[in-house]
Amino acid sequence: MLRMAQIQVDQLSKTFKVPEREGGFAAAMKSLILRKYRQVQAVDRVSFQIDDGEIVGFLGPNGAGKTTTLKMLSGLLHPTSGQATVLGHVPWRREAAYLRRISMVMGQRSQLNWDLPAMDSFLVHMAVYRVDREEGRRTLDEMIELLDIGHVLGKQVRTLSLGERMKCEICVSLLHRPSVLFLDEPTLGLDLTMQDRIRGFIREYNRRYGATIILTSHYMADVTALCKRIVVIDHGHILFDGPLTSLSARLAPFKVISIDLQQDVNGYPFERMGEVLAREGRKIKLRVNKEDAAAVTSRLLADLAVLDLTIEDPPIEDVIRQVFAGGNTP
Amino acid sequence: MRAVLSAMPAFLRESMATMFQYRGEILLWAIWGVVYPAVAMAMWSAAVAGAPGGHEIGGYAPRDFAAYFWLTMVIGHICTAWDVYELGYLVQSGKLSPKLLRPVLPVWQSLADNIAYKVVSLGVLVPIWVLIVLLTRPQFGIDRHAATFAVPAILMAAMINYLWCYNLAMVAFWVTRMEAIGQGWFGAGLFFGGRLAPLSIMPEPLQKIASALPFKWVVYFPCEMLMGRLSDRAIWTGLGNQLAWVAFGLVVFCVMWRMGVKRYSAVGA
Repeated sequence: MLRMAQIQVDQLSKTFKVPEREGGFAAAMKSLILRKYRQVQAVDRVSFQIDDGEIVGFLGPNGAGKTTTLKMLSGLLHPTSGQATVLGHVPWRREAAYLRRISMVMGQRSQLNWDLPAMDSFLVHMAVYRVDREEGRRTLDEMIELLDIGHVLGKQVRTLSLGERMKCEICVSLLHRPSVLFLDEPTLGLDLTMQDRIRGFIREYNRRYGATIILTSHYMADVTALCKRIVVIDHGHILFDGPLTSLSARLAPFKVISIDLQQDVNGYPFERMGEVLAREGRKIKLRVNKEDAAAVTSRLLADLAVLDLTIEDPPIEDVIRQVFAGGNTP
Repeated sequence: MRAVLSAMPAFLRESMATMFQYRGEILLWAIWGVVYPAVAMAMWSAAVAGAPGGHEIGGYAPRDFAAYFWLTMVIGHICTAWDVYELGYLVQSGKLSPKLLRPVLPVWQSLADNIAYKVVSLGVLVPIWVLIVLLTRPQFGIDRHAATFAVPAILMAAMINYLWCYNLAMVAFWVTRMEAIGQGWFGAGLFFGGRLAPLSIMPEPLQKIASALPFKWVVYFPCEMLMGRLSDRAIWTGLGNQLAWVAFGLVVFCVMWRMGVKRYSAVGA
């Protein structure tokens, strides 16, 4: 099946001008006259393309530029330079025809009226997006069923639990059936069961309506469960853009060597070869630098009676964790 | 425009439902709107009694003052706007962002809130207004012209105040805190709008300043018209001034909104 590019980003950059001063009263007085600013490069010449119906995960540590990129693509931020089109529109022109076809869920920013039951916000949303009454009713019934929120619709939003509120946020964002969906930390703060339910819903929405979805999350399970393709951003640069399965091979600077020995070995200097991840009887798991892997393997085979030896990339969770910790270099 | 027409009834229903949720607060705000015209009415009535001759000040007898301040009370309510605080809060807290993602400008929702407040609070205010009329026996001088132009004059007055209050509120895109600016605006509205005293009894230079500002056309002009104190020519001039302030306000709104949103989206929405 031929897929069309729904999102095209070319050399997109965003620089913020941030006022700064040292702490203390004297610095506060000084800043009255002499104000200092610092340029923060949030996104630096990123380029990528996302096809119709893809779910793409944006990964990176705090301050990497993920949310800034999402905000530029949704039209909330003007870029400093570069080009982007989403569904054939330039997002930051914020044309009504464009805004009617997208949606953005921000874990920290609510689209619901907290003073009223969620159902009231749903009805307003359908009117604002001119959703056909019959179609809107059908979509709403589907969402209510998929998200299991029928019992909370009559409750004032401010009295809902975080999970209930997030499900209502997602529901209201999708009532107009957007073709492109930007999800910024949609499972933030939710318990495991609720995270799982939200993931299932996102997957089902993508399957049912063929929507293109960009997702940022700090939860690895979100990414591994939903995204075949991921984009890793750090310090505003794209470090990796490709299938999730090849992330480890590209980004992990180490390999994991597992050995099964014929007999017990005491005093052998495994620690000098790498980090011992596990040792259970004659089974040992070592983490070694990628470039040392071949030499370490040769030495192990030469020195020891080895029954079995495997060399693997580290688990995807470890790689992502390292990316989040900012410990990765391209 | 079709999106606005579709959204406005829903916004109004939502705003009214929110107001009903906080009916106690709405009641207090509405009563506060009655307090200072009532105080001004009492002060000026007392001042007339103490004035030489004890009949009038600047052509206003006690029942004229009663009518004047009763009208400032009613027209002041119809024209009230508070977006200086509201939009400032939305910008500062970032809560404007979800509203910017909608295909309808946030100003429409704000306008719906404004209209909803005025309608919901009528339930409390109308009995108070009737009671004040019964107690003070104001002397209105509504003639044919005043009756003809009352509705457009008051509608344009409400538009002027709403538009210019919103225009001022958009300064929040450049300035973090809006409270002092808001207070300055409301203070100027009280003084130059003739809500503390009829402008005609103020010194000439102040009257000239008032004529160059929008406030006079929001409260003082419709009040004077409904008291039958304006000539046909003055009514037409006043309506022309109102129309000019509405048109100017719309132009400023369009320019400031475009610049403001660009600014908001430049510093981090």
